[in-house]
Amino acid sequence: MRDVVIVGGSIAAVTAADALRQQGHDGPITIVSDERHAPYVRPPLSKGMLKGTESVDSVFMAPLRADLDFRPKTRARGLDLGRRRVLLEGGEELPYDGLVVASGARARRLGPPEAGELVVRDLDDALRLRESLTTARSVVIVGGGFLGMEIASTARGLGLDVTVVDRDPPLVRQFGAFLAGHMTRAALAAGVRLVHAPDGVRLAGTPATAVLTGDGAPLEADVIVTAAGDLPNVEWLAGSGLGGPGGLLVDERCRVAPGVVAAGDVVTRVSDHTDLPRRSPHWGSAIDQARAAALALLKGDEAPEYRPSPYYWTEQWGLDIKICGRILPGCETHVVTGSMEEGSALLQWTRDGATVAAATVNHRMPVVKLRKLAAAPVPERTTG
Amino acid sequence: MRIIVDEARCEGYGFCAEAAPHLLELDDEGELTVLTEQVGQDERADAEAAVRVCPVAALKLAP
Ligand SMILES: Cc1cc2nc3c(=O)[nH]c(=O)nc-3n(C[C@H](O)[C@H](O)[C@H](O)COP(=O)(O)OP(=O)(O)OC[C@H]3O[C@@H](n4cnc5c(N)ncnc54)[C@H](O)[C@@H]3O)c2cc1C
Ligand code: SF4
Repeated sequence: MRDVVIVGGSIAAVTAADALRQQGHDGPITIVSDERHAPYVRPPLSKGMLKGTESVDSVFMAPLRADLDFRPKTRARGLDLGRRRVLLEGGEELPYDGLVVASGARARRLGPPEAGELVVRDLDDALRLRESLTTARSVVIVGGGFLGMEIASTARGLGLDVTVVDRDPPLVRQFGAFLAGHMTRAALAAGVRLVHAPDGVRLAGTPATAVLTGDGAPLEADVIVTAAGDLPNVEWLAGSGLGGPGGLLVDERCRVAPGVVAAGDVVTRVSDHTDLPRRSPHWGSAIDQARAAALALLKGDEAPEYRPSPYYWTEQWGLDIKICGRILPGCETHVVTGSMEEGSALLQWTRDGATVAAATVNHRMPVVKLRKLAAAPVPERTTG
Repeated sequence: MRIIVDEARCEGYGFCAEAAPHLLELDDEGELTVLTEQVGQDERADAEAAVRVCPVAALKLAP
């Protein structure tokens, strides 16, 4: 393996490059990113940076290794698998022996570009929203997932009038009914308006000035934010036969095709729980997959299999929540220590008697311990 | 080069210790220990890799 090309410019791309070097790969590594910025960290974009408690500068990663060729503002627009070449916008072709696809995901939008709805996926999005929030008085957020609710929490903290609209009850899919219920009550107590729109919503106006639900009156606001999930960036692979709307399917070593591996938000893999392909668009998964992918590129079948151990966190309404494992539908919740009323708790979830997830709510616990609890038996006498 | 941990910021994610296990260690209690106070030139790239993966900017390198 000599020339490695990495498409992407975020945590998965950077971690793959670091891992390749750590594993002794000393050939050229080229990273092409379509962003104008050097790699930065995304989680603060909906939290501290949006609030203004963290500076914009603090989101940038430490400078990359000097032995990488990092090319910002460079977009891959195609892949020639047979000739092992990444085709760049502008016509240049990059030959590779090994390719890492780390092109991530982008925000899903409801309207056409003219609708001007705001989203939060990259740094420029977050700066735009931050700016808008300083002058606006009201905001409607479409989507009550963890991103939408983080933005709602920040906007409310800044004193705005905040409405969140979703076709499902907020947060249930990600956090289960028990924890989502608690988070939703915290949101309501903070003065957020939650609107249930079972038939979905449409944007009205160019630029958008309101959100229309199936029945109710238009929800008008100074700022409309869409936080309705993300779409994997696979379009540039069209024509190569790789990738589909659900992402880029990888095997148990993050491999896609001979000489091609993938990591991060672009990846979909067959779930150990359901046998269905699913993505795991979280910081920790991007890092773990990037390391696995780098090893697979260098060692092939000798590389260890990637064993996912889902881990993610959120901060909203003064709740600091960390979760290991997967809260599956039909799980039973157990409050192991503390209580939601006291505002600090340790939770476990079981399904068919087996522990499948654990979480802390305003309860400081090292992630290593939480990981163990995500598979450890629930102590007796707890209820939920 | 020294690795500095901002303990108030560190959430014990451990991504950094996985990136540079010979420089940083996260114990079972989740306390992050800097194993090598003074990072040599040859370890610098790994130390920087550890700094990069921290999602809360809790690690820094100082001259
Ligand atoms: C606002 C926000 C808050 C989040 N908070 C959390 C959190 O609290 N906890 C958590 O675990 N996770 C969180 N996440 C998720 C986490 O940030 C992602 O899982 C992670 O960024 C995925 O990294 P990635 O490298 O796979 O993809 P991305 O970060 O999406 O990066 C992909 C990169 O590839 C570039 N690219 C795409 N297509 C091309 C192309 N054709 N040519 C060249 N370059 C291309 C993109 O511009 C981008 O730079 C959050 C995400 C967002 C947006
Ligand atoms: S990655 Fe950051 S938060 Fe996690 S243990 Fe290391 S320094 Fe602490």
